[in-house]
Amino acid sequence: MANAMEIYQLLPKTNCKKCGKSSCMAFAAALLSREKKLDECTPMLEEEKYSENYTKLKGLVSPAEEASETGMIVHEERCIGCGNCVVACPVNVAEDPKGAGSGNAPTNERVILKVEDGVVRLSNVEDCRRFGENKILCSGCIVTCPTKAIEFV
Amino acid sequence: MEREYHVCTGCALLCDDIELREEENKTIIDSACRKGVAWIKNCQHPLECTVDAKDATSQDAIEKAAEILKSAKNPLIFGMGNSSLKAQEKAIELAKKSNACIDDTSSFCQGPFVEAILNDTIKSCTLDEVRDKADVIVFWGCDPSNSHPRHLSKYSYFPRGRMRQRGWEEDRTAIAIDVRKSDTAIICEDNFYRIPPKADAEFARALTEALSGKVPKVTFGMKPKEILELANVLKKAEFGVIFAGLGLVYSMHDLSPMEDLLEALNKKTDFHLMPMVGQYNMRGFNHTLFDQTGYINRVSFDGEDIGHGPQYSVVEVLKEKRVDAALIIGSDPLSSLPGSIAANLKEIPTIVIDPCKTFTSQIANVTIPSAVTGVECKGEAIRMDGVKVELTQMRKSDKMADADIIEKIMEAI
Amino acid sequence: MGFDQFLSSPEMEILIITHRDIFQSAANSDSRFSDDYANLTAIIRLDKQDMKKAGLKEGNLVTIENSAGKVVVKALQSTYEEPHPGTAYMVNGPWVNALVSAETSGTGVPAFKYIEAKMKKSKESSITSFE
Repeated sequence: MANAMEIYQLLPKTNCKKCGKSSCMAFAAALLSREKKLDECTPMLEEEKYSENYTKLKGLVSPAEEASETGMIVHEERCIGCGNCVVACPVNVAEDPKGAGSGNAPTNERVILKVEDGVVRLSNVEDCRRFGENKILCSGCIVTCPTKAIEFV
Repeated sequence: MEREYHVCTGCALLCDDIELREEENKTIIDSACRKGVAWIKNCQHPLECTVDAKDATSQDAIEKAAEILKSAKNPLIFGMGNSSLKAQEKAIELAKKSNACIDDTSSFCQGPFVEAILNDTIKSCTLDEVRDKADVIVFWGCDPSNSHPRHLSKYSYFPRGRMRQRGWEEDRTAIAIDVRKSDTAIICEDNFYRIPPKADAEFARALTEALSGKVPKVTFGMKPKEILELANVLKKAEFGVIFAGLGLVYSMHDLSPMEDLLEALNKKTDFHLMPMVGQYNMRGFNHTLFDQTGYINRVSFDGEDIGHGPQYSVVEVLKEKRVDAALIIGSDPLSSLPGSIAANLKEIPTIVIDPCKTFTSQIANVTIPSAVTGVECKGEAIRMDGVKVELTQMRKSDKMADADIIEKIMEAI
Repeated sequence: MGFDQFLSSPEMEILIITHRDIFQSAANSDSRFSDDYANLTAIIRLDKQDMKKAGLKEGNLVTIENSAGKVVVKALQSTYEEPHPGTAYMVNGPWVNALVSAETSGTGVPAFKYIEAKMKKSKESSITSFE
């Protein structure tokens, strides 16, 4: 996960205040704390000259952005890719019973936890049971992780 | 969409649901754990083809290797845990042809349990049976979270199985027995039994006594009530399995405490034992050699009859300096054997066949790079539970498979 | 400031048990000659109180010696909750194997997981090299 300085270097650095923050540095900090989303910097989103930096920033902040709703974070340096969370997740079991729900490779794109390149990646985080109208305090992925790599902040 | 699955040869679980995906000029490996991904990716220092530390063609290296083996009176062939079944067969053939002593890592690893299983003195089962039927799972002296990361998620604890539809939360009990609270022991929570080093035999005997109604006593402070409770959990299993790690193997003089425990358990229920084999095809070598000689390792083809016993083990022959040349296949004895014993390899002509540079390849007279089986070439292997698995090729490579290298060495002799 | 600095560093008897570590296994597959591998393999994990007794800080180099051999590795605090005085943990590799006795009683199986040795803070400036 990048730090505020690394994020600031990729922003327009114009302090235009369109995002509602007084400076690009403040916006960088807000991105890290998940108070703001990257697309709220409309110049970055709309102007061609920022498109390369936009793509780079998207890659840097998107894990946290996805986490923003449910506060779910994966500490990749601790993750060993054991797949315990993948098979324990009730959403995975419901959406892919023969694949991820049985300890095998996922067979569709509706799973929210899967192992890529040896570590766990999140997707469709909005489907996590901790989010939404009928949210519950599900801890399937936390208690099954041997290295405490998954956290809800 | 037709999915293409590959088999990971990073450990003896041989996970067969690995997928490869191209993304922005990079290949992403799906579903393999951190250990598997590191194995599948190219290593930083591939082995170079050398003779006497100078670059050589594979032809020269193979001829020099053949020369070394031909002039040796009693060479050693060691390793093969990371080789295909075909390579292992060829290695045994080469051992016969060159009057060699042949041994593999099981010699100082899981040999005793594999031997017991092949000789039918210990009951075992398959990983698929564990997933479908096991309700009591014991991790004894092993830490799969660090050695076989997908063990619990793919087979032994977390997945729902045919007869365990409610999964780990309601249908399975995982128990860890270890000298320290390993990562796997943390998952087992309250079912972690801590015993001191070398106390495994005593603990197994106490459990056996508890099963026959006696009051179990141990000298290391565990209360009889605790041992009785554990024995009861084991007794009530419908399908139990003990995964035996090196912590258990190294602490016991011989297997009789475990054989007795399993016998006592099987009087009341259905209990099995599976060795936590590390290298993906160590069992393949054991099975192949067993089929040919009745022994799983430590065999000498020097002389009229086939010799077998600890005196022909890699540790003893190197320690006593009884071999005058060595062919090391896919192993790194300078890293995995006691320093003083491995150092003796420096005194004899040594040939190393490996995909990557190792501590042993640094001192070898001949080094021949080989393809990683299951990644750079096809093959077959035997999984830690005895099931034969077909290996695919994940990426193109012009490196030779070890089976072909050994074949060529034999031709040159 | 006391007389401690004038005494040679305290020597401690320890029992070393080896174990597997997935991060080290991954580094092993990647390269046995990388810093990553050395950082994950040439280390010994000690009990917190034992470290204090031996006058060690996290990351100090220690010399470990017994009748089988001698190595210099980095000392780190273990992450186990329960204290384990007198016992230390190392990952399987050439460093710990330099301390494994060749004495096997002819069985062909060395005592890999039960190594008795003496440890003290090292005067060396780097870990033992095996290259």
